Amino acid sequence: MINLKIEENVKESQNVNTLYFNWDQDIRPGQFAMIWIPGYGEIPMSFSGLGRRKSITVKAYGSASRKLTELKAGDDLFLRGPYGNGFDVREGRKLLVGGGSGIVSLYPIADQETDALISAKTRDELIFKDRFPESRRFIATDDGSDGFHGFAHELLQRINIDSYEAIYVCGPEQMMYKVLQVLKGRKVFVQFSLERTMKCGIGICDSCSLGGKQVCKEGPVFNIEELIGNPEFGVYRTTYSGRRIRLNVK
Amino acid sequence: MSDISTTLAGIKLVNPFMVASGILDENGYTMKELLERGAAAVVTKSIGISERDGYPTPVIVEYGDSLINAVGLSNPGIENFGEEINIAKEAKRPIIGSVFAYNAEEFTKLSVKMEEYGVDAIELNLSCPHVKGFGLEVGSDPDLVEDIVNEIKSKVKVPVFAKLSPNVSNIIEIAKAAEKADAYVLINTVKAMAIDIYSRSPVLSNLYGGLSGPAIKPVGIRYVYEVKKETGKEIIGVGGISNYKDAIEYIMAGASAVQIGTALYKYGKGIFREMEWQLRTFMDEERFEKIEEMVGVAIKR
Repeated sequence: MINLKIEENVKESQNVNTLYFNWDQDIRPGQFAMIWIPGYGEIPMSFSGLGRRKSITVKAYGSASRKLTELKAGDDLFLRGPYGNGFDVREGRKLLVGGGSGIVSLYPIADQETDALISAKTRDELIFKDRFPESRRFIATDDGSDGFHGFAHELLQRINIDSYEAIYVCGPEQMMYKVLQVLKGRKVFVQFSLERTMKCGIGICDSCSLGGKQVCKEGPVFNIEELIGNPEFGVYRTTYSGRRIRLNVK
Repeated sequence: MSDISTTLAGIKLVNPFMVASGILDENGYTMKELLERGAAAVVTKSIGISERDGYPTPVIVEYGDSLINAVGLSNPGIENFGEEINIAKEAKRPIIGSVFAYNAEEFTKLSVKMEEYGVDAIELNLSCPHVKGFGLEVGSDPDLVEDIVNEIKSKVKVPVFAKLSPNVSNIIEIAKAAEKADAYVLINTVKAMAIDIYSRSPVLSNLYGGLSGPAIKPVGIRYVYEVKKETGKEIIGVGGISNYKDAIEYIMAGASAVQIGTALYKYGKGIFREMEWQLRTFMDEERFEKIEEMVGVAIKR
């Protein structure tokens, strides 16, 4: 395991913290690391900041991630990686489409001209909203508590998609599946960053597989063409034991 | 042009390279993809009677080009695995069903079910814990091994391969106990452990794991050689094969085919086509016409 030191822990919202640390490793946007919390487990995390001073942004949802949000300046951070293929970052105007924590993985792509569509179930779950100026962001909440009342794919249909050179998407699979339906057939370059249950993180255990591809190694970033026709994307997921479960996407 | 096909217990393989159990073989689409990318056959994830989560993460330690794993026989359970086999069979290449259990009755039940799903052969994973405990593996008890193999052979028609553990003091004794099997698979992982010095903790949540990869190839070569020399039985070699030379070394030690596992981590899915081409080139240059001409040529009697 690589051993680093936490420099700072910044609270983003009730359950979300950004941990800053120094690491000289070159990392491409969209790559991830397996973060180890000794005694609590290991979880895959993408990077929310990629300079020499790097960051991960953690939402507490299980014991390992909760423990991670509690780390303080000076504490040890253990990890292995970076893993995965990362985004193909294009020149020109970009749109980031983030669902829930998905905007965190997309954030390192952003530049001065980048727009962001940020969606969440409710206002309190919007993350990184303030990292984009009002003129460059579109907000959607399922319950209408902030911005557009509805889902990301619905708001996306009201945006001039053809004015972008590239669109990058990350969020819950159901959301991404719907976004794919809106974007397929369009001329714009589109990539999705996927998330699946991961164990090894290096492409051998088959836990995170999707229609023959390993999300940890051949992904997490896939071109839209690779996902159209993938027999499992948006259709199946697997339990920790590897049992196939059909998703209910309407 | 050399013929790189081989035959194993009557099963024709287009090349000697199979996918090892536990590596990229839980999801039917992944198995299908590997077969379409050149693997001659695939051995499934080792499947048990019941669904099993296995161990919490971390389950892997990278150890140079080798790995220590403690996935913990995670699997969906035999009743949920038929669909994966059906998907994999779309590639129209042999599927070998791997099974693990703690006694002869359950091993047999699993094997019968795998045969019903249409696998071409059964691989018995004898490295799971002995039901009596004490940290022993099923495969370290020759009487139990004999019971398991004999009972399965009396119930299924497809070939049965016994995968032997290297964590024993006398592998010839165990091999002879499994002599009713149609072939041996040598070797499974070597018991291992890693400690992180800064957290002062074992890295794996299970503390212990199985070492695979190049670090164990010399162990695998020795066991294939010894067992082939002493029993003459067909063997599939597995353990640290990363390139065509490693595969040929196993074949010359006595293997009729080899399984690729950990190397997929380093070299990816293209390894099968690459090794096919390199093997053919080697055989042409060294004037071997068939794989069987190379099998066991290194054995000194």
